[in-house]
Amino acid sequence: MIGLALSSTLFMLAKSLKPLAVVPLLLGLASCATAPTEKVSLLEQVKSRGELKCGISGGLPGFSSLNPEGAYTGLDVDICRAVAAAALGDADSVAYTPLTAAQRFTALSSGEIDLLSRNTTQTLSRDSGGGNGLTFAPVVFYDGQGVLVRQDSGATTLEDLANQTFCAKAGTTTERNLNDVMQARGIPFELLNFNEDQDRNQAYLDERCAAMTADRSSLNSARSGFEAPDEHVILDEVLSKEPLAPATVDGDAQWGDAVRWVVYGLMAAEEWGITQDNIDAQVASATSGADQENAALRRFLGIEGDLGSKLGLPNDFVVQAVGAVGNYGEIYDRHLGPDTPTFIPRGLNASYTEGGLHYAPPFN
Amino acid sequence: MAESPRSGPWSRPLLRQIRRGLFASPLDTVITVVLAVLCGGGLWSFLHWVFLQADWAVVVENIRLYIHGRFPVEQVWRSWSWLGLLGVLCLATLMPARMLPRPVLRLLPLLWILILPIGLLLLAGGLGFEPVKSRFWGGLQLSLLLTLGTVLMALPLGILLALARRSSLPLLRWLTTGYIELTRGMPLIAVLFFGQLMIPLFLPEGWTFNRVLRAVLSLGFFVGAYMAEDVRGGLQSIPKTQLEAARSLGLSPLLTVALVELPQALRTALPSLANQCVASLQSTSLLAYLGLIELLGISRSILGNPSFLGRHLEVYIWLALLYWAVCILMTSLARRLERTLKVSDHH
Repeated sequence: MIGLALSSTLFMLAKSLKPLAVVPLLLGLASCATAPTEKVSLLEQVKSRGELKCGISGGLPGFSSLNPEGAYTGLDVDICRAVAAAALGDADSVAYTPLTAAQRFTALSSGEIDLLSRNTTQTLSRDSGGGNGLTFAPVVFYDGQGVLVRQDSGATTLEDLANQTFCAKAGTTTERNLNDVMQARGIPFELLNFNEDQDRNQAYLDERCAAMTADRSSLNSARSGFEAPDEHVILDEVLSKEPLAPATVDGDAQWGDAVRWVVYGLMAAEEWGITQDNIDAQVASATSGADQENAALRRFLGIEGDLGSKLGLPNDFVVQAVGAVGNYGEIYDRHLGPDTPTFIPRGLNASYTEGGLHYAPPFN
Repeated sequence: MAESPRSGPWSRPLLRQIRRGLFASPLDTVITVVLAVLCGGGLWSFLHWVFLQADWAVVVENIRLYIHGRFPVEQVWRSWSWLGLLGVLCLATLMPARMLPRPVLRLLPLLWILILPIGLLLLAGGLGFEPVKSRFWGGLQLSLLLTLGTVLMALPLGILLALARRSSLPLLRWLTTGYIELTRGMPLIAVLFFGQLMIPLFLPEGWTFNRVLRAVLSLGFFVGAYMAEDVRGGLQSIPKTQLEAARSLGLSPLLTVALVELPQALRTALPSLANQCVASLQSTSLLAYLGLIELLGISRSILGNPSFLGRHLEVYIWLALLYWAVCILMTSLARRLERTLKVSDHH
């Protein structure tokens, strides 16, 4: 928290001092200077560099972490890979920068990274020019505060937990959200606060509280660390909105649009039923097979029309992205699906056709 | 064997010593027994955990990451060679001086300075080696590189600052005093935040500035201020008469500093300078919170791997062991250096 406060102060200070760009001259230490005289879109810069600079968390189960081979994997990482595949035709041309929460916005505004794919909650002040000045791509994960209970308690709603004790982390919005929801519904409850995740988990395991509350994704990874994860369930109720979205810098519409439509492309591919495995067959079928009359599909796959080049991307950018990482559902299942230790039911993260919130606008 | 002339007289005083030290009075006996039970119980449950409950796969399977970070597999021999060279150099320094040929002995200090450029060449590439970007550096290798870079930058800086602080030129004196006091009045984490967050914002658009270099510069400027005070302490321990003697011998001010003052001052300051070196190694771990994947940072990323969820304890014990080993190596190098300098003093 101190780090966060410190960095935001530094950030504001630096913003106000930026016109005094004498410091670098004094330092005279900067390297690789290619100061653009005219503003070139990051999309063009990425293409001429041949590499996408992507900021990730680097230590969040299911979203980004290192495997023993030294490669980053996770949902956030696959978004980077999809954008790289769409823009450069190679999902591996990504330079990952692990960032802490305090650093992420500075890294974006200073150009250290092109794309921030680091479980960032989309909020008004982060989006607006008066705040952090970001441009958000579509939400890739709808997180929210959830409640974890022991399966044998039989509790399925918050009402079932009346007069019970909740374990939470002190000094977070978690505590406030829980209070708000419970008060509004008139459910009495007790609260037990802890400073560390570990302590909170242990207290819950020691049955000092009937339920534990935190963001659903972190409840999930906590549960996967338990000895018997199956004996605990996360309630369906969600207490707060935490829409996590990739972000780009404000004022670069071309780049922002490209990233946005790559993400939509992954979601639309799921709606179409196009997967990493069947994409070649789908392209073949739409080019000269059963689907050659299907104009919408042909446009989507870039066989007809020029949707991609309107964005500054190759016309087959969706084919490239899905071929590299699969559609959104496949990405989700790979990192957060039922076969992973970090399983989170899709819920809000399902396609709208399945009752979720992911909905891609038409590719026209 | 128990009747051997050695064991008899040896064991009896030892037993007496134990009795006198630990069981002299009933109270002593109670304290000894209680402490022994507590320590024994703690140790037993720790060992029980280490050997029976802990799952060390998180360490074993990721060993390459802890040592070399994300260094490309086909180039990893370069990282190994640098670490190997560093190890050989440590061994050579720790060996008794008479076991080494004279020229090697003479070359040792130079080699310690050269090990950093050699490391940079091996890790970054160039001169026929395939280039490897600094974002692939990590783990122990990066921690050591950061420490070495910091120390090699901070030491000369510290000496210069210490001399400038004692200079007769007022402006120089004020500036260095101001710099040292300002730096010492700031927490290291604030300096590192400045280096990692502010500098990129000040730079004109399109300019980038290597993260590792930024880290070394911030650490070096910070540690330099502390080392300056250590060296100044050493300088102050030299009696004035020596300077007067040097002047009366006709030594120029520069030669007085180089031949009379500094050798003695550095010898006196050596224990505190060694302290600063160990502290710099430990300070590098703060960079994990600024996104560098040095030893602590890479552990964060490994712990994020869904296959190793909840394995914090194993990882942090392993890290403690690694940091401890490197620190012990550094302090024994410093002790060795102290002994060598003392020996040469008695000539």
